[in-house]
Parts: sequence; C-alpha cells; structure tokens
Amino acid sequence: MDELDLRIRNESYSSFVRTGTAPAAAETAAALGLAEEEVAAARRRLHDAHALVLQPDGAGIRMLNPFSAVETPHRVEAGGRSWFANCAWDALGIPAALHDDGRIESACPDCGEPLELEVRDGELVRGADLLVHFVVPARSWWDDIGFT
Amino acid sequence: MVFLRSEEHLVRWLDANGWEPGVSMTAATLNELARRWWWTRLEPDWRPRSAAESQAILDELGLTGGFWQLV
Repeated sequence: MDELDLRIRNESYSSFVRTGTAPAAAETAAALGLAEEEVAAARRRLHDAHALVLQPDGAGIRMLNPFSAVETPHRVEAGGRSWFANCAWDALGIPAALHDDGRIESACPDCGEPLELEVRDGELVRGADLLVHFVVPARSWWDDIGFT
Repeated sequence: MVFLRSEEHLVRWLDANGWEPGVSMTAATLNELARRWWWTRLEPDWRPRSAAESQAILDELGLTGGFWQLV
C-alpha cells in the first residue's frame, strides 16, 4: 500500500466520519487535487488489500470498517453523531476508533427484541452480558465479509 | 456477527438458519477485542497490520486454536 493509496484511504475515512456519508470518488479526487480515475484505481487496490470494501458493482464504498456506508441493524451514536456499523464487532469498534464513549442500538436476530449497549471510558457499562457469536472461522472472514 | 440476548436465543437462531455453531463470547469480551482491533483505525499514520500482528491481538485475549487462525 503506497503513500497515495494511504492518502486516499485517510481522506475517505475522514470525510465519512465527518459527514456520515461515503464520499464519491470525484469528491475524494477534488479534496486531494487528483484525477477521479486515480482515486477509483486506488480504491480498487484498497479493496483488494481489505482496507475498505467497495459495493458489488465496484462504484461506491460499502464499508470503511468499522463503519458501514449502508444501513444495518447496528446503529452507533458517539459525540452527538451517529453511524451504522457492519456487525457487532464493528459496532463496538466505532467508539474504540473514535476514542469516545458510545451508545449502540441493535436487535436480537432471534426474537427482534431491541438491544442497547453503552461504552463509557472504554468499558461496556450496558449490555456486557449479551452474547456474540462468530459463525465463520477467522481464516474465512474475508471470503464473504458481508456475511462475516 | 450479531448480538443475541442469551444462549437460548443463540441456539434458536443457529437452528433457524441451519448454521453450525461457531464460537460465542460475551459482549464485554468483544469490547476488549474491538478496542485492541480498531483503536488506531482513524489515526493519520495508520498502516495495515500484518497477519502476525492481528493474530497477536487475538492471542492476547486467549482467542487461540484453529478457529482463530487468520492464515
């Protein structure tokens, strides 16, 4: 991963955290003074390196892990803003990445009951006894990251 | 992966989807893992971790054995 790819990756994350919306390649290109094609090519390399996840059509960003660019059952609030997370792990990862407290709204996939978790000063002060289940073994996580 | 209310809900959810059981942990343990895994993700000098570095994070939490082997 070269410096250009890292700049594009960092700008994409920064923009997403600030706006809650995944930037289009043209927006990132404008922010960095690059050609849109350069950004699109870098995004494909970042996707292949698991540094972000593109939509199936390769056009837009689906995941800037732990953030999700599409609506999911896991909503996270921190610092007065909110984002969607890709999964339970990523939901707890958003307060960690932001170095902030956070509140997570999710739901039990068995019964649909709403679930709330709260991270304060790094500790899970609400929802600590809820269960999380890894169905997919670690070596296969990236075979289908959407399912994982 | 998802949050579930209890073991009873987990068993029913796995059954309903026809999935083989994997590995469970509490949300508290997952929070510890999330803190180690994601802490540097937004830092300007972020660089991708090697597989060995990621494996070390899992090891620190006792997540060892075949299920947790990244490569």
